[in-house]
Amino acid sequence: MSGGFEFKLSHFQALLLFALVISIAFGFLSRRGPLDRVKYIVWSLFLFLLIGVGIGWAMYPFSR
Amino acid sequence: MADEIVAPAAPHRDSGFQTRAFVVGVAGWILPGLGHALLKMWGRALAFFLTVGLLVLIGAGMRGNLFASSGNDAFDSLGYIADMGTGTFYFLARSLEKNGADVSHATGDYGTRFLATAGVLNLLAALHAYEVARGRKA
Repeated sequence: MSGGFEFKLSHFQALLLFALVISIAFGFLSRRGPLDRVKYIVWSLFLFLLIGVGIGWAMYPFSR
Repeated sequence: MADEIVAPAAPHRDSGFQTRAFVVGVAGWILPGLGHALLKMWGRALAFFLTVGLLVLIGAGMRGNLFASSGNDAFDSLGYIADMGTGTFYFLARSLEKNGADVSHATGDYGTRFLATAGVLNLLAALHAYEVARGRKA
């Protein structure tokens, strides 16, 4: 920290935050009712994490 | 004998209506959520303000690259367009990044993606507000 507004996130923290924020935005954009939005957000978040972690594992053999 | 197909009548759109829709779209671009707020869609307005704002704060905090208008190649220009999609939040991000961008680490690289995503998301939200104002979306 050098006085400015900055912080560091791990890969997974960044993935989690990104997935959560985008899921919320898409949920509000594409659904109207509160229940529909919550369902969409949870499902979208789950898929983001599943696919993100899945791609991470798929790339693991090529990482070194 | 062929059935007669009657095309639905196009809804009446006067110039004031179009201008209002355009203003709503531009307002949504300048300040995330403002377009929906003008349409009294408070939930969406708050959601877009907070999500775009959060993405910008995180992206700037991770010292992501904010592209400038004086880009050298097409990628820089595309990055600038994406970053400018956040409207006034672009300048907020610039003011927060007092130490400049640092993409020598993965964190900074992720920050660049957060900032670009915030812009594209806000453009999408502004377009949605414009379409709602035109009566094409609910």
